[in-house]
Amino acid sequence: MRNARFLAGLALAASLLGLLFASYSTYDYAQHLDRQIHTIHCSFIPGASGDTTAENPCKVALFSSYSAIFRASYWGGVPISLFAVGAFSFFLGFSVYLLMSGLRAPKRAYLFFGITGVTPLMASLIMFFISLTRLHAFCKVCVGIYFSSALLATAAVMALVHYRRIAHVHLPPDPHGPTQVDSAAGNPLLLVGWLAALGLAAILPSLVYVAALPDYRPYLSSCGKLEVPQEQHNALLKLPTAHPVKAVTFFEDPLCPTCRAFHERLIDEGVLENLDVTLVMFPLDSECNWMLDRSLHPGACILSKAVLCGGNQARAILEWSYSEQDSLRELGKGNPAAIEKMIRERFGSDVMQCAQDKKTATRLNQHLHYASNNHIPVSTPQMFLGDKRICDEDTDLGLKYTLSQLSPEVLR
Amino acid sequence: MSAYHPHQPPGSPGNPNRRAIDAVDAPSAGGSPPFLPALVGGVAGVIVLLATTLTVRATVSGAADRLKHPQATAAAAESKVAVADQSEEKYCTPGFKTVLQRVLNACGLVGGESRRGCQPADVKTFASINDEDFNALFTPLKDRGAVIMFDDGSDALDPGAKKLLEERWMDRKGARYFFIVARASRTGSADFNRTLSHKRANSVHFFLQEQFKDPDLEKQVGMLWLGNEFAQLTKEYCDWPASRSSAKCNADALNRSAFVSWVDCRL
Repeated sequence: MRNARFLAGLALAASLLGLLFASYSTYDYAQHLDRQIHTIHCSFIPGASGDTTAENPCKVALFSSYSAIFRASYWGGVPISLFAVGAFSFFLGFSVYLLMSGLRAPKRAYLFFGITGVTPLMASLIMFFISLTRLHAFCKVCVGIYFSSALLATAAVMALVHYRRIAHVHLPPDPHGPTQVDSAAGNPLLLVGWLAALGLAAILPSLVYVAALPDYRPYLSSCGKLEVPQEQHNALLKLPTAHPVKAVTFFEDPLCPTCRAFHERLIDEGVLENLDVTLVMFPLDSECNWMLDRSLHPGACILSKAVLCGGNQARAILEWSYSEQDSLRELGKGNPAAIEKMIRERFGSDVMQCAQDKKTATRLNQHLHYASNNHIPVSTPQMFLGDKRICDEDTDLGLKYTLSQLSPEVLR
Repeated sequence: MSAYHPHQPPGSPGNPNRRAIDAVDAPSAGGSPPFLPALVGGVAGVIVLLATTLTVRATVSGAADRLKHPQATAAAAESKVAVADQSEEKYCTPGFKTVLQRVLNACGLVGGESRRGCQPADVKTFASINDEDFNALFTPLKDRGAVIMFDDGSDALDPGAKKLLEERWMDRKGARYFFIVARASRTGSADFNRTLSHKRANSVHFFLQEQFKDPDLEKQVGMLWLGNEFAQLTKEYCDWPASRSSAKCNADALNRSAFVSWVDCRL
């Protein structure tokens, strides 16, 4: 009896905790549906703190490709935390039922809970490995959900153990219950009913969320266009991709974390290889960028020049810059010569020699003039689909939806 | 299947279901009706689910409202983002910009005029300022510009001149316009010197054309040739970067030259 009560209490606590964390995660996601920047909760204490810094791991998780599904159908997609909200709500009710029932609960209730109670942990494990291998960051709110799922799974395992212990024990028939079935085991239809209830609970928040979404289509083409699409000096860079079907122009900075996230998002969404990419290097480093009075990303100029000198390796150099970005950014602040050494060691002295050539500096300057001729905002990354500027908010949460609306061929 | 023995205490000796019974308490005799836990659990679950779902709906609706009626703070934040543009240095005074604009208009850089450059009469007309004030406009360009020197009566560029021209041209940064202001010393007639300074300006122009093959060159280079009639350089310009640093600096040598510089002004 105490076992049954304890596991039900544990399940109730886990469900409450999971519901809290999932609700905060969903709230943060839904806030961004206004296409503006908001603080993001990132604490083990639910609702404790908001954070807008780029390094916030919860922001990394929220803006990643893995935070939502059906992104091509809905702007921002349907956040997966919504399913957690629904599932934890169901388990909260079910654990109250188990807690109050005690031994009156049919055996199948424990069997059902034992099987379904581990599903949030399975989903959490998948997300955990994505965080570990793809995002390289652990969002505290997500960890809160993982922990809640683990607690719930512990209760579920205890329920299965409990079920095994009582499986062959016959309790007296319930005088109030049906006489045609074994009331202690419970009507088998209950399993179907509970499963249906769990399914309904899991998808109901998502259905309501989708129904409440506004129409984003009018906003997709509202951010201007390239005024001067042609670059007279042939200075811009073509980035090789597997099967390019749509011309795009990217303005990128090798040391900009948002550019790295954007690049990874394009790869994760399976979009990059379908794009005919023209790359405009736009380093936010005053060493070469005369639009800035101070360097936001010191070291970005020499890396941009290395990309320009890469030839067939241009994409490899850009992606290497992204993968090594954290250490390169640190070196850029204190020891720029070390960046040159790294480039030389990784890609050879020819690339470095070319990067230090005046002609390359001129070519990079032509990239910057291309940006100024087109009066683009001084920020990275920027994406132009043809000559149409994709709004910043449509390059992260709304990327797949925007592409599905403006250029569906790149999603095939 | 084992049988349940309600009259034997659970776990008592001789009870065949001892292990199983240890895990199961006898149901309480009294207590709530059996449907109550299901009802309470179901209601609790439904209430929580509805509450969270309605909160989700309210949050999405709130975002939709903000989308339709953006807040002033967002608009302000948007307006703070700088826009990429050419450089605008401190020396771009209204007076300097006036002359620059007139050079662009009068000397063929804008407006699709067929001619290239301005001669002394044009410059006098559009500058509307005296020699000293005209030269003073260019004083802040000391670090940006250079004096390309020529031999007496010659418009040929020597290696030093070519090297310095290359350096200056490649050091464009954010500038949009490149000025060539060619002169001649007072030796010889005004007509001859006007023609000679024109040739010197062209020499610089052609060299840049040949060397860099920049398709935008025609829209970037402003040429003025002043002969010896307007805005002669004085000895103060001796310490400016020049293609013949070892040359003896005097007024004649200084004015057998073309002053070149990128100009960092927005118009």
